[in-house]
Amino acid sequence: MQKTRFPAVLSTFVLCFAFWILLTWSFEIQELAAGAVVSLAAALFAARFFIHEKSFRLVHPRRFFSLLAYVFVFLGELIKANLDMARRCFGGCRDINPGIVKVPVDLPDGYAQAMLANSITLTPGTITLDIAEEDGKSYYYIHWIDVSETDREKAGDAIKGRMEKWIGRIWK
Amino acid sequence: MTDILIFSVAFACLAVINLYRLIKGPTGADRMVAGDAADALLCCAMILFSIFSGRGVYLDIAIISALLGIIDTMLVGRYLQGRRR
Amino acid sequence: MALRIVIDVLIAIGAIFALAGTIGLLKMPDTFSRMQASTCISTMGVIGVALGALLYAIFIMNSASTAIKIAVIALLIITVNPIGAHTIAKGAYRAGIRPEKRMETDDYGRDLEDE
Repeated sequence: MQKTRFPAVLSTFVLCFAFWILLTWSFEIQELAAGAVVSLAAALFAARFFIHEKSFRLVHPRRFFSLLAYVFVFLGELIKANLDMARRCFGGCRDINPGIVKVPVDLPDGYAQAMLANSITLTPGTITLDIAEEDGKSYYYIHWIDVSETDREKAGDAIKGRMEKWIGRIWK
Repeated sequence: MTDILIFSVAFACLAVINLYRLIKGPTGADRMVAGDAADALLCCAMILFSIFSGRGVYLDIAIISALLGIIDTMLVGRYLQGRRR
Repeated sequence: MALRIVIDVLIAIGAIFALAGTIGLLKMPDTFSRMQASTCISTMGVIGVALGALLYAIFIMNSASTAIKIAVIALLIITVNPIGAHTIAKGAYRAGIRPEKRMETDDYGRDLEDE
């Protein structure tokens, strides 16, 4: 098991403490002290599972603003996919053609791959089942409600859309 | 004011309708998905009822319910993954 | 008054998508399609309700803590839901649950047999 390093503990602590302040929303000294103790304990135990490598990577103006821009890009994709799914549901659930496709990803970083997989799962109509690695390239297995392309590259373009480019910009 | 109460009751009714799938669903995964959806719908109902009645307790209950919902979903998911045929 | 109308419209959008997800969850033919439908509930339904309630808490109730708690709940459900969906979909596939009508393209099943 990897050794817990100080920056990882610090970034987890900052996150836990911000969450505590958001939840209690009182600024008395006693509450803040209790929150600090609890979040320090949580950070010591959870840092090795949570943020381990390059802890303060997002504190960088370009990455942070592309994260903000990605939220809106993602909301656009989400609304489009939701309208499509709602149309299928109200139309009697007949208009479906489910299947599992294998889609290549070219994002090098583990965090970026996890973020893209979660974004794909969150848009209705696609669920990421598994990630496989074959000779240096990563592939997603995606359950798709309406398989219109069986070719891998085209299916990948149809599923990932603009999200992959933006995520690559965040974690570059 | 009453419109928010009406929406809150509507969300609770949708959660109750989801329970049909939870009772009948042929496999365990079906039941778990229905329970998850009912959990999200009940969170929505609690948010709306909290801003209707002006009491903050319902929001705390909604937070705890969302957190526990994800934990039991992951437990059932891991259990299903381990049971290979 | 206009604000109340905007709030009602946002919550109604959430309710409509939640209704669509519920219909899909009840009527879709197989397990994985039901999962897809249930994603509708926990994204657009929660976003609509949370935006409406957020506007209500900020502009009508004037209470910061309520608004922050609502935002935290919405963020929690939205960020954490795909992890559960992914885990349970993979678990269902590995446990041998297949749709009744055979899927036309099934790369995952083919690769699992190779192992």
